[in-house]
Amino acid sequence: MLKFDQVTRTYGDRVAVDRLCLDIQAGELFALLGHNGAGKTTTIKTLVGLLRPTSGTVTVGPYNVTEQSREASRLVGYVPDQPFLYDKLSGREFLHFVASMYGLSDAAAKTALEREAERFQLVDFLDRLTESYSHGMRQRTVFAAAMIHEPQVLVVDEPMVGLDPHSIRLVKDLLRNYVDAGKTVFMSTHTLNVAEEIADRIGVMKAGHKLFDGPVDELKSRMPDSSESLENLYLALMEGAGANPTGEMPVAKEIDPVPTSEQSL
Amino acid sequence: MKPSLPQPSETELAVLVGSLPSHEREGQVFLRLRSAIGWSNLRGLAAHAKLRTTLVVGLSVLFWIGLFVLFYEGFKFVVSHVGQSGASLHAKTILFVFSLFFSSLQVMLIFSAGIILYGSLYASRETKFLMTLPVRDERIVFFRFQEAIFFSSWGFILLASPMLVAYGWVVQSPWYYFAYLPFLLIAFAYIPSSIGAIGCLLLMRHLPRMRRVAIGLASVVVIVIAYQSIWRTLAIADADLLGAAWFKKTYLRFSFTRGEWLPSTWLSHALIDAARRWDLNPDDLPWLESGKYLVLIVSNALMLHLIVKWIGKRVFRESYWGLATRPAKKGRVDLAWIDLIAEKLMFAFPKQTRLLISKDLRLFRRDPVQWSQFLIFFGLLTLYFANVDRFRQHKTDLSVLTWVNVVSFLNLAVVGLILSTFTTRFIYPLLSLEGRRFWILSLLPVERETIIWGKFWFAAGGSWLPCSALVLLSDLTLDVSWMVVGVHQLICLLLCVGLSGMAVGLGAMMPNFREQSPSKIAAGFGGTLNLVLSALYILVVVLLTALPCHFYLLAGRAEMPPKFLQVGYLRFWLLTGILASTALAAVVTIVPLRKGLKAFRNLEV
Repeated sequence: MLKFDQVTRTYGDRVAVDRLCLDIQAGELFALLGHNGAGKTTTIKTLVGLLRPTSGTVTVGPYNVTEQSREASRLVGYVPDQPFLYDKLSGREFLHFVASMYGLSDAAAKTALEREAERFQLVDFLDRLTESYSHGMRQRTVFAAAMIHEPQVLVVDEPMVGLDPHSIRLVKDLLRNYVDAGKTVFMSTHTLNVAEEIADRIGVMKAGHKLFDGPVDELKSRMPDSSESLENLYLALMEGAGANPTGEMPVAKEIDPVPTSEQSL
Repeated sequence: MKPSLPQPSETELAVLVGSLPSHEREGQVFLRLRSAIGWSNLRGLAAHAKLRTTLVVGLSVLFWIGLFVLFYEGFKFVVSHVGQSGASLHAKTILFVFSLFFSSLQVMLIFSAGIILYGSLYASRETKFLMTLPVRDERIVFFRFQEAIFFSSWGFILLASPMLVAYGWVVQSPWYYFAYLPFLLIAFAYIPSSIGAIGCLLLMRHLPRMRRVAIGLASVVVIVIAYQSIWRTLAIADADLLGAAWFKKTYLRFSFTRGEWLPSTWLSHALIDAARRWDLNPDDLPWLESGKYLVLIVSNALMLHLIVKWIGKRVFRESYWGLATRPAKKGRVDLAWIDLIAEKLMFAFPKQTRLLISKDLRLFRRDPVQWSQFLIFFGLLTLYFANVDRFRQHKTDLSVLTWVNVVSFLNLAVVGLILSTFTTRFIYPLLSLEGRRFWILSLLPVERETIIWGKFWFAAGGSWLPCSALVLLSDLTLDVSWMVVGVHQLICLLLCVGLSGMAVGLGAMMPNFREQSPSKIAAGFGGTLNLVLSALYILVVVLLTALPCHFYLLAGRAEMPPKFLQVGYLRFWLLTGILASTALAAVVTIVPLRKGLKAFRNLEV
């Protein structure tokens, strides 16, 4: 459903993402982990059409994100780390606009809007201007906007930041249910316990390189010396990679060669 | 491993993609978005910003009427010398005036539309959001282009409409002149705005790293041409000024503004023809002649509209990507010489105040939005003050002397008014902006009073130096007496201290910690109130000293001074005016600061 094929993105001399390969299927929740500056946000931006890969291709279904960005974005719903809402629109007007842009008719948009308002508990404030929303309310509205057209791929950048425990539970259940319904979720996060709890597969990046790609259990089996939490595994992985600043498969001493995405599935 | 779920087929995905909106539907959705935001803004203004809205509308109407009267009298004067519309000399003269006016605005519109489009297309979160939706690239460009046209051309319409209505009125134009007018103006504004937009898109696509240099170079070329033309026109002996030979030379010198390929020339011809009355000659139909130019302008505007969309479709996303992936600047921040000088100048302040002022100075220095506006306005004033020496040639003439004094005080008031816009835009929001980082300040062992005083001294000291230098330049160029220089310097100091005290005090009394944009904070009720009170304060302080000073100087020169122009009597009034201004400055500084200190002390963040 979602494929990164040898994707490299540079900013001048700096390589933000280096020959990234990923293949994520429908019904899979993929969590991308990494320190700040590891290349997670650049990866997501190439996926949603905000950046073009310097080389390589990103495809959503049969559509190349660079060359068929409009078609590809029809299949994607995106929740950015810094949500954007029109201050002078109500939540309802905003969601209706987004639904219309995805090609929903007015009647279908109304139905979808009611469904998402119910799902994200927006009903109480849906007719207020979004400028009066709290961070949590904004985040939930943006989630609703990203899901209003029931996308094949939901891309979420740092979904839990600033949410209260109730909303975190809501989002976790939602993502899990969405994947169980046959859709794809691509999530970038620093919240390791959330990734551990809901992800089918994790990818770990450092300095633009993919260090690991596979289920959490696989990581555990490869690092028997580490304790079992993903946090410890992640930190051990990063520490191992630190010995090799280029990131060229630095964990090979501790872990078997990083599997390709195909192998991991 | 999780069992694989069935993957959606390409046909299923193609059906989803096929449901994307058509061009027309997309246009309707964006139109609905625009109207919803527009109405919401209007409702918000009516409900929460009555004072600001009333002020803006009221001042705009006043400005329009003022311009209308000015142009009405001007055109009456011109018509009395060159005859009514239809006369050959009339057409020639008006063509000169209109072409010069519209070609200048044409250049400004190209630049302003291009720059505004750049800001809204490449540096906005909204564009980024729209790019993640399945919106056509040309639609995004067009959506932002509409805003660029609106924001760049409202000033043009505000300036051109009173002039053209006044012209139509003076020459008693037929009805179709007024009927064509709005279409001509809108279609004309569309042409340079489109050229600016095309330039912006191509520049971002092909020279994204050189964009500032390219704009800077183009601006310098335009300024040099304009300055050269104006300088050559005015740099002649007084005796020849406004003479027949001067007119002829000037007419020829500006012939480049009347090129037949320029939209400004088409507009000028359209207006001149439309203003003519039909003399029942079937071979000469003014409404038709003018209509042809209208069609020419509209068709060119429509063609450029298509070109903007065509280029937008092809280059926008590429140019956005190019700009978004340029290497980050590795700016090194050293202690600049200006910081060192400021440190030395602030030796008398307590250390904490010094540190706070240094912090504000660095933030100001590193924010081009702030210092570039400061530089532009004060640079333009310097240019103007350095060129107001024409009065010096007649300083023995009493009426000229009168004007010299009036102009010198007007210059002082202008400096004050520009300063008041800066204190409103940059100083008033300072405390509100601290809100987001208030925890840093509140955790430091710093009294809240120190923060307020730091802002006050930063504003007063920072504004006094350039304002005082500007006023001195104006006085020296006008060659006013040393007494006037002294009075001006004192008033300048009072203005800087008073305006700073008011902005800091009101900013502390009405902080807005939710808003992150300083311009939005300044545009709120408190900012508007600060601007209005500042203008009143400047008016009163300048008048209190300008009037006695003016009559005092006249009294010494007039041959037969009337009773109320006795020197001793006026000296008393001058002194009283200065004392009253000082007292007013003290009130304007102390009262808001005290109230601000009290409010800020009790603030719970």
